Formats: sequence, C-alpha cells, structure tokens
Amino acid sequence: MSDMEDQDKMEAPVQDSNKQKDRFMTFKCGDEYYGIAISYVEEITTIQSITEVPQMEPFVKGLINLRGKIVPVIDVRIRFGKEPIPYNDRTCIMILKVKDTLIGLIIDTISEVVNIPAEEIVSPPKGEKGNGADRFVYGIGKVDGQVKLLIKPETLIFDSPEEESEEEICE
Amino acid sequence: MRILIAEDDFASRKFMMRFLQKYGECDVTVDGMEAVDAFLMALEAGEGYDLVCLDIMMPELDGYQALKAIRDIEKEKGIPTDKQSKIIMTTALNEGRNVTKAFELGCVAYAGKPIDQEKFESVLKKLGLLEEE
Amino acid sequence: MAEDYITDGMLETFLYESSQLLEKLQELVLENQDEDYFDDGAINEIFRIMHTIKGSSGIMMYDNITKATHRLEDVFFCLRESHPPVDHEKLCELVLEVGDFVTGQLDKIQEGGEPDGDEKPIVEKVSDFLTKIKENIAGKSDKAAVKAGEILLAPPVPEVDEESASSDEPQKYYIAPVATSDSKFYHIKITYCQDTLMSNIRAYTAVFSLKEIAEDLMYIPEDIITNESSHDVIMKDGFAIALQCKESKEKVIELIDHLAGVEKIDINEVDSNEFLAGFVPEEVIEQREAEAQVPQEEKENYVIEKPKAVKKPAKAAPKDLQSYISVNIKKMDVLMDLIGELVIAEAVVLQNPDLKVPGLELANFNKAAAQLTKITGDLQDGIMRIRMIPLANTFQKMKRIVYDTSHKLGKDIELEMIGEETEVDKNIIEHISDPIMHLIRNSVDHGIEEKEDRIKNHKPEKGKITIEAKNDGDKVCIIVSDDGKGLNPDALLDKAEKNGLLTKAREAYTEKEAFNLITLPGFSTKEQVTELSGRGVGMDVVVKNIQEINGTLEIDSVQGHGSTMTIKIPLTLAIIKGIVMKVASTTFVVSTNSVKEFLQLREQTLHKQPDGGEFIMIRGDSYPVIRLKERFGMKDTPDSENAILAFIEHEDKHACILVDELLGEQEIVIKALPDYMKKVKGISGCTQLGDGSIGLIIDPGVII
Repeated sequence: MSDMEDQDKMEAPVQDSNKQKDRFMTFKCGDEYYGIAISYVEEITTIQSITEVPQMEPFVKGLINLRGKIVPVIDVRIRFGKEPIPYNDRTCIMILKVKDTLIGLIIDTISEVVNIPAEEIVSPPKGEKGNGADRFVYGIGKVDGQVKLLIKPETLIFDSPEEESEEEICE
Repeated sequence: MRILIAEDDFASRKFMMRFLQKYGECDVTVDGMEAVDAFLMALEAGEGYDLVCLDIMMPELDGYQALKAIRDIEKEKGIPTDKQSKIIMTTALNEGRNVTKAFELGCVAYAGKPIDQEKFESVLKKLGLLEEE
Repeated sequence: MAEDYITDGMLETFLYESSQLLEKLQELVLENQDEDYFDDGAINEIFRIMHTIKGSSGIMMYDNITKATHRLEDVFFCLRESHPPVDHEKLCELVLEVGDFVTGQLDKIQEGGEPDGDEKPIVEKVSDFLTKIKENIAGKSDKAAVKAGEILLAPPVPEVDEESASSDEPQKYYIAPVATSDSKFYHIKITYCQDTLMSNIRAYTAVFSLKEIAEDLMYIPEDIITNESSHDVIMKDGFAIALQCKESKEKVIELIDHLAGVEKIDINEVDSNEFLAGFVPEEVIEQREAEAQVPQEEKENYVIEKPKAVKKPAKAAPKDLQSYISVNIKKMDVLMDLIGELVIAEAVVLQNPDLKVPGLELANFNKAAAQLTKITGDLQDGIMRIRMIPLANTFQKMKRIVYDTSHKLGKDIELEMIGEETEVDKNIIEHISDPIMHLIRNSVDHGIEEKEDRIKNHKPEKGKITIEAKNDGDKVCIIVSDDGKGLNPDALLDKAEKNGLLTKAREAYTEKEAFNLITLPGFSTKEQVTELSGRGVGMDVVVKNIQEINGTLEIDSVQGHGSTMTIKIPLTLAIIKGIVMKVASTTFVVSTNSVKEFLQLREQTLHKQPDGGEFIMIRGDSYPVIRLKERFGMKDTPDSENAILAFIEHEDKHACILVDELLGEQEIVIKALPDYMKKVKGISGCTQLGDGSIGLIIDPGVII
C-alpha cells in the first residue's frame, strides 16, 4: 500500500486509519514548529484572495473560494497573539476538516509530515497560559532532536479566546 | 424428498448442499444444461424431483431458461399442476422485474442470497414439502 | 439512516407501495368519519387495499400482516356483499387500528428489524366485529332493513371475480436475503504492480478470498477467468470490486492484502445506494426507479347491487390523474447543485473580462447570450419547482391528529383545511410539520373549550380549527386558527410576572407583546401537564423550529372568540437576482426585489439628525441613510465620487444605503455563510460572483 507522501496538495487519506494515528502535518509559525494530526488535513493550497467579512474576530481573516466551496480562513499568527506579517508566495492555507466544518489556516511556511509515536509526546509545561499559542498546545512531540508543538484544531478554531481586545459582536 | 440443486459457484453449491441435505436426498449440477438433463433423467426413471433450486446466473443455460425448460417438459409429459416440482430460484438479484419474470415462468418462490434459512424452511413447510412440526 | 440498509428492490417496492396504500386508507376513514356509513366507493377501495396488502405481505412472508389484513378484508367483503347495518364509528376505529398495526410492522422492517408484532389481539377484535355483523344479517336484520329503507340485503354471493377473499392462485413466496443492518458496503480497487503477470488470475484469487465473507459481491471486469485480455483491462484501470459483508475494512484488506503483486488497495465504505450504483449500468437504474412506482391494478368489475341514494354530492376527482414517479432525493440535490454551478458558470462566461476588449462586435453574441440566459432561467425555475411539494400531505397528517386528540379529550372538533395545494420546498416541509402539529395540539387541548362551556357561551358545540396556507410575495403563510376561548392578556401577564419573565413594566406591554409571552421558555398557564401538550415546553420550541428556517410566528387572539397563529416562512429561493455593490474593498449583494431606486450621492443632500443619524428627502418623505461602511465597522475610507444611494424596501420599512460603487446586476446562488462564522448581523449569506470573488449578501430586514 502506498505511503503518505508530503505533497503540496494531499487528498483525504483512503487507507486504514491505523497508519495515520501518529502522523502530523507540521508548519512553522514565527520561530516554532507546530503540528496537527494528519487526519484533520484535507489539503494545502497557496494563498489566494480573501474576502473580508465584517464584524469577525481579528484572527478570522475572511472567506476564500476553494473551487466553488466558500471556506473561512484564520490567520494563525494573529490567533497565536503574534504580529501578523504580510503574505508572500510562501504563505499557504492549510484546509482542515474539523467536525464536518471546513476551515483554512493561513500559515507562514509549511513543513513536512512526521511520524510521532505516542511515547515521544509529553505534556506541555504547566505554567500560566497567556494569550499566546500555549493555550492551544496539548502536547510536545520530539522528532529527530527537534520539538514540535502539537495542536488540537478544535481548540484553535472553536475555543473563544479568554480575553479579547474587542467585544465580540454577535446577535 | 428428492432435491435437485443447480448452482455454478462452488462455494454456493457447498452451502446449498449442506443446508438442504437435512431435508432429503440432494443431487447437484453445475449448470442449467446439466440441471435440465438431470431433471429429465429422474422423471424417466420414475424418481422425479420434489424440489428444484435453480441459481439464475449459470453458464450454458441460465436459471430462467432452465426453469422454462423444466416446466415445458412437465407439460409435455402431462404432469398435472399439483404434481409438478416446486421450483425455487436462488440468486443475488433482487430486482422486482427479475422476480416477476421468474414467477411468470412458473417458479413458486424466489430466495435472495444470502439465504435466510429460517424463512426458507418456513416456505418449504407452506409448500407442503416438509411436515409442520 | 434506516433506508441505507435496504438493498433489496423487492422489499423497497413492497414498503413503498404498502405505505402509500395505508396512507390512502387513513384518508378514506378520516374523510368518512362523520358520515353514517361508508359508501360503495369507499368500501370497495378499502377492500382492495386490504386485499393487495394481504397478497404482497404473503409473498414477502410477513404472516402477521397477512393475517391482520385478511381479517379486515373479510369484513369489507361482507359489507360489500350484504351491506348489513354496522356501528360506523366502531368500524372506523377498527380500520385505523389495523392500519396502525401494519404501519408499525412496516416501520420495523424499514429499520432492518423483524415484524414480530402479535396480530392476534387485533385479529380477534376484527373477528368479533365480523361475527356481530353476520349475526345481524342472519337474525333480526329484516326489521333493520325495513327501517333504514335504503339498505338491501342480498344473500352472500359466491365469489366470481378475482377479488375473492381466498384466491385460487397458488401462493408465491419471496424470501428476502439476510442483509441485516450489520452489513457494510465497500468499493474496492486493486492496483497491481507494473510488471505483474496474469493479473486476472490474481484478481480471481482476491475474489475467491472475499467470497468467504461476502454477502454480495460484484466485480469488473467480470470475465477474469475466461478472458485473458481482462489482464490488460485490470492493469490499465485496476480491478474494481463492490462488496457487501459484515466485516470491517481492516478484515477485508487483510484478506486481499497479502496477495503477491498488489501495489495499492483503495477501499471506501459506501452506502447501499452507491454500492448498487457502482456496477449497474445507468439504464438499469432508471428502470429500477420506474419500478418503484408500480401502477395499481384497478379491477373495475364490481357489481353495484342496488340503487343506493348517494348521500354526498359526487365529489369532483380530487386531483387530476397525473402520473407520478418517485425520485431519490439525492438525485434532486445533485441537480440543484448543478443548476447552481450552471448559473455561476453562465455569469463567468457572460461577464468574462475577455469580452471587455473595446471594439468587439458583440451583437450576435449578445443575442445568443440572451437566449442562453432565458433557458438557464427556465431550467432553474423548473428544477426549483421539482422540489416543491404541496402541503396537502402535511395537512392530512393534522387531520389524524385532530381526530386522535379530540377523541382522547372527549371534544368534538372539526378541522377545515384551506389552500393545501400551496407548494413549498421539500426541506421546509420537514421542518414545518412539527410546529404545525404543536399549534394544532395546543388549539385542541387549550384552545377549544369543553362542550358545556361552549354551549354556555352560545358557541356551536362542535369546535372548529382552520389551517390555511397561502403565498404572500416571497413567503408562504400557514395560519392555524381556532374558535376557542382565546388568550387573556391579563392572565398571561400575571403568569409572566409570577415567573419573573417580565422585562419591562407591566403597563408597557401591548396586547401583542402579552400574547408573545407564551413563547418564552418555562411559561405555562395550564396548571397540570396534559399528556398531549405538556407544560410550557411547547411554544418556545415551536418558535425555535420556525426560526431555523428563517420564519416568523405571529400570535393574535380575541378573548372568548379564538386565537390565530400565523407562521411565515420564506420560500427557499436559492438563486435570486441581486444587485452587486462595492463598499471599500468588499463586495455586497442585495436582492433586486428589495431595491427600488438608485440615487447619485453627489446630487443629493443628506440631512443630519441630532443623534448623528442621517436622512434624505425623497419626494417629500424622509428616509434614514445607512452608511454600510459604518454599519459593518469597516475601515473608514472617504466616499467615492460615484457613491450611490440604493433605496431599499423591506416589508413596510424603507431606507437608503450608501455604497461606493454599483457593479451591476447578477443572478446569484445563495450559499450559506459557513457555520463557523457567527451570524454577522445584517449578512444572510454569501455567493460566488462572476469573477470568482465572494460577495456578501445583505439582509435588508436587519439592516433597516
């Protein structure tokens, strides 16, 4: 059976799930590497024009048109409390499927697919969880001497931030 | 009870035999042509089959053709309707029009695969081939 | 979903046809419940229905259904032949009971279970009834006949035609296969390594391994043993297998994975429809669909024995005898999506930047484009219409509900239905049944008073509930009204006050606002929970369901005379004509219907109000001006020179919205905003525009 290759565009895996359990899609944001379980990743596409939607949280950049599907996109840097940087041609959008919802994550640089078996994952240090990325990290994976901060997409996407500079405008 | 099984697939044949052996003596054929031959032979030897199970998808002669041939033989020999063999078609094809066609050609029951053994037995009883317990 | 597990064409047909018949049966009973007896037409039809279900359930080997329907068939056979006097009310109850029993069994089968209900109690009841009737005929019936005058007695005629209660035809049987709900369906594709030899033999080995566990197995190419060239086909296209079995994906893969030469195995779990569709040539699928609607054989040879005076005026044939086919909803959805894509594609073509080259002679093109637009427009309309279903079905259900609940409570209530031919999108029907049902139950339970009270108040003994449906612009109104005791605003305010639900001073509440109190969660003026309507759980849930389909509920009432509940729901107009406008860098769309007029900003004077709002004078009236940039909290950029004011209307409200640029009119396909985005105030959806960008659809009702 074929292995998962890292390609620019990956389709949802069809093989049995056992092999996927320990695989993570990693990306770079700022100086750190982050990882998301591969089962969430639908595809990776290059940055494209984003339609702003008014009255959304600052990290929700807006909507993109993905071959006819209208998908909301989140800027991961802003979500992590970092300063946003202008998008260039290395910027990618990672399309995730979380609980039947499609969401795009705008990422500085995409990295590779790595295998991190459960034994190599430790809990993050218990410290104060500020406004930064620490809130979303559920585990720290060790691969080849490097550290990848593992993220659960649900927290990233659905968890409303503890403090917000703006009031959320909802009906 | 004398039973004739016509089934081209080895595994299904084994299944049918195992299943039907408890009701009577089973003869097995592997295609429609053989089945019709066997039927004729038995009739002429005075040992006609009480029950015939025909698969529909068979080489040489398919189930419908075999069914028609058997009914024609019985008509030609002047066998009265109530003494004719009970014929059950067995197949994976469950479409309405296949079933209707089979009924029109003269079978008395149509069993979809995988065969529900309980229901099959119940039909045999209703057809009077088995005694009600 | 339950239907997924039925792969059996025979079974599906049986279930479909039987449920249609049972619906008709219920209709017949409810239509005739107030009469004194069933007329010939009804008797014949009920007889036919029982006979048909008896026969088909016999073939399918569902004995309990066969026995129950057989007994009732006997009763109607007797009625048909002898027309004895009967207790009509009791008969109606019995027929409904038998119908309910069979429906219950069909439901079990539909869910993949066994119809194991015990038919003995109902068969006994019907048998007793039959015995009594026969006694009536045998014994004292002559006097009864003389009294009734119209009832003739004929000795039971020996059956001549095929409608006999016992048929001469030998019984046929259909033994349904044992596909249980544990069965799974898979589409498998095996790709062999490039240099594999005799892949067809290997494929055969794979099939053989699977046979162990397969309940049903199909593969392409089929002639793998006999035809060597199938090897080429397999090397080129892979070997495709459709498998039905109980085993897990892993087990299936295990069985075929170890075979030499296999480069890749793709395995997908699918549902039963896809399983069947995978290898069946298209035309066979069409046939199957047509099969699902097998016309009922009408045997019109009944002997009408006597010149019975018809009680009711001859009913005009209720619906035209149009022929119907039933279509799988999934196919409809595919069609709807395609038409949406077509509209977008049309826009991309017609608005293509390539066309904007100056100097192009486009007269012919434009003519052709106009024709294209017209046809796609018609196609759109046609397809939308396919999804529309008359509310009649839903209303019919209500009849049964009124019957059941009014009988349970001992109230005599009539249900009047108006406008049941009004059509509504299928999606909406599913969401509207429950709310309507609840409103009707409320009317029966809380609205209509007991008989004594009604008489005391000089009202007719029989309560009346009216359910009406009508189109109103782009909405559908469904109105449930009763002539019961109505709502008492003071009592409502009292209760709300007691429960701490008032949000402002009691006196500040208008009557309408007081009525709306009943939609607050936790509100109830009934001291006891009745089995039917419960305590206060009803109305707030009703309102929520209605709001889920973007509808509204209005409550009106006159104390002592009755109440009226009006549900208004927008028709699903998934494709509308919209005006595309630009505000800063964002594109917005407003439905053309809402826009009445355009005005150039620079030619108008905007007046300021003390609170900062702006307004404009148009033909003597003043209207508020809404700056979208501001309203949506967007970056404030200076008004463009070409800024436009769009004069929009929503119901009876009007306003002008200020936008930077007008881009044109376009047909747009409404797509819902992704769930994830909390509903932004004022935006009801989004769409893909001709140039691929995304437009946000403005909801005028919220903006104004």
